[in-house]
Amino acid sequence: MLELDGLTRRFGDVVALDDVSFSVPEGQLLGFVGPNGAGKTTAMRIALGVLRADAGQVRWRGRPVDLEIRRRFGYMPEERGLYPKMRVIDQLEYLARLHGLERSDARAQAARMAELLGVDDRSRDKTETLSLGNQQRVQLAAALVHRPEVLVLDEPFSGLDPVGVDVLSGVLREQAEGSVPVVFSSHQLDLVERLCESVVLIDRGRVVAAGRISELRARDPRRLVRIEVAGARDGWLDTVQGVQVLESLPEGAILELGAGVPEIRVLDAAQAAGEVRHFSVVQPSLAEIFREAVTREGR
Amino acid sequence: MSASGAGSRGVWRIIARREFVERGRDRGFAISTAITLLILVGIIVITSAVGGRTTYDLAVVGEGSRAVGEDVVAAAALLDIGVELHEVPDEQSARQALSDGAADAALVDAERIVVQSQPPAELVGLIQAASIRERSLAALTESGLTEAEVDEALNQQQLPVESVETVNARSRENATVAFVGVLALYGQLFAYGYWVAAGVVEEKASRVIEVLLATVRPSQLLRGKIFGIGLLGLGQLLLIGIVGLVTSMAVGRLEFPSGALATVGLVLFWFVLGFFFYATLFAVAGSIVTRQEDLQTTMTPLTLLIVASFFVGISATSNPSSTLATVASLLPFSSPLVMPTRIALGEATPWEVVLSIAISIGSTALLIPIATKVYSRALLQTGRVRIRQVLRQRG
Repeated sequence: MLELDGLTRRFGDVVALDDVSFSVPEGQLLGFVGPNGAGKTTAMRIALGVLRADAGQVRWRGRPVDLEIRRRFGYMPEERGLYPKMRVIDQLEYLARLHGLERSDARAQAARMAELLGVDDRSRDKTETLSLGNQQRVQLAAALVHRPEVLVLDEPFSGLDPVGVDVLSGVLREQAEGSVPVVFSSHQLDLVERLCESVVLIDRGRVVAAGRISELRARDPRRLVRIEVAGARDGWLDTVQGVQVLESLPEGAILELGAGVPEIRVLDAAQAAGEVRHFSVVQPSLAEIFREAVTREGR
Repeated sequence: MSASGAGSRGVWRIIARREFVERGRDRGFAISTAITLLILVGIIVITSAVGGRTTYDLAVVGEGSRAVGEDVVAAAALLDIGVELHEVPDEQSARQALSDGAADAALVDAERIVVQSQPPAELVGLIQAASIRERSLAALTESGLTEAEVDEALNQQQLPVESVETVNARSRENATVAFVGVLALYGQLFAYGYWVAAGVVEEKASRVIEVLLATVRPSQLLRGKIFGIGLLGLGQLLLIGIVGLVTSMAVGRLEFPSGALATVGLVLFWFVLGFFFYATLFAVAGSIVTRQEDLQTTMTPLTLLIVASFFVGISATSNPSSTLATVASLLPFSSPLVMPTRIALGEATPWEVVLSIAISIGSTALLIPIATKVYSRALLQTGRVRIRQVLRQRG
């Protein structure tokens, strides 16, 4: 289990992290979610020892993480970084060796990772000559090349095309199935929802919600309805008593029902307004849970 | 599955190896090495053809010229100068030989000396002396002296020459080697110091530093970088030294190869001392900027220090015992460019040498922890970092 315990960090007067704690068991794929400046990168940098915490501790299998342990971690920083003039294969081999692999092992792993991420045909080229998407694949290969015990990836999906997203999703699932705890941050909440069982939601340096997505949903007491109506005049929803629009859709909305408001009231109003194309009771999306958690915290 | 292999202690060697291999593989490195060697070989060959000249060709034509010419050859031999006589049929062909460069001077009818333009002073002096001797001989014989009396009158002992200061051909040659050595050291300290700084900036600018710092300590990174680049610099300097020595011996410019070899050894040793001192500072200069464009500014103080030391080093080849040279040979930033020359010329006392080495090693040892501190803390900061501020803040 990877544990972040009470991490606090200030930059001048700004509190970047305020008593942040969460843990990732072996084999779990954890989404680390929050708006820009929430403290995701700071927390990940502290976990990798690139930054020091003012307070708190990071533990792996119960032991405080030091350099020797950290060498067995795999890390992909938000600001990607590779040697631009080095050949892809040499770069991967070098990084594998820095993480403690023997030369022959490092060489074999470098080739294996280049193949896994589909950049083996460019492995003899200088890294700077690759497209940004391919450089990102090399960056991920660099995080994986030494068979890490723990994976920490900062915004690994940003900048990837749909094919790249699929490749990366597959690789992350595979790693988690190989009993590696995987933490990754992302803005793409739908992607996190699809990929992860568990999430940690962070806002302004504080964890606002954490746990399995299904449990977070179950804990959310709100009743939501999704409705789509063709040919209705604008503003028909305003006439329905006791509902609140959470999200407008092209021909409808996601609504939160007030206490004691029956679903049928919405359906009746919709049928009066136009032709109903869709009507369903829905569960809150991760984005909804997050919004709710942030407002609750803000109170 | 877990990562196997060595602990992190020896990781700086892997870093050093990368620096050595990646830079050695660079095409620019191969080209600059080739150009340096070409220039060196060129200079040695050209100077040996121009400066080291001790043979002359003398064309002789007409009556009596041959006898005077033979006197010239005999007198020249005493001075270690070779003169070759070429007998030509007439003045016309003598002049032709002059303009062809086949002769340096022509003696016509033992009466006139003809040269192409600038008279070669040594040769003309020898001809004048021989001619005067020949004419005196004729005059004395004519005045009725016996052959024995004439001989006695003319074959006088040469005046002895006494040097106030002993001329040491060996140390003069060492000075030349030392001069070339200072030139090479200057170039190496500059180039390889810059590489250290540029390498540090490259890692910051490309952001690869964050990947590296997640697995190695900044001090290991610094040590690996300095050792790797330094080893490459030392190797290149060794190559320059060997090629220089071999070329010099091949064209007969080296009379004392052992002395030259020792001087090359001195230069290599002081490169190591100077490189560690400067590389540490260059690493700091690199760590406090984020872009290559800003590097020039932070390197300027170091650049000036090397250039100033270089000029003192050059002046020391002709004036090795001046106060300036003596002081500069002790200071850590200038000793690499001054001390090898003073030692090669036999002007440095043993305690000065020991003191200079001790100061150099000691100051580098003091510098490394401070530099490592600045380097470590500046690595993840962007923009221009102020050294004093970095030293004050917590990690």
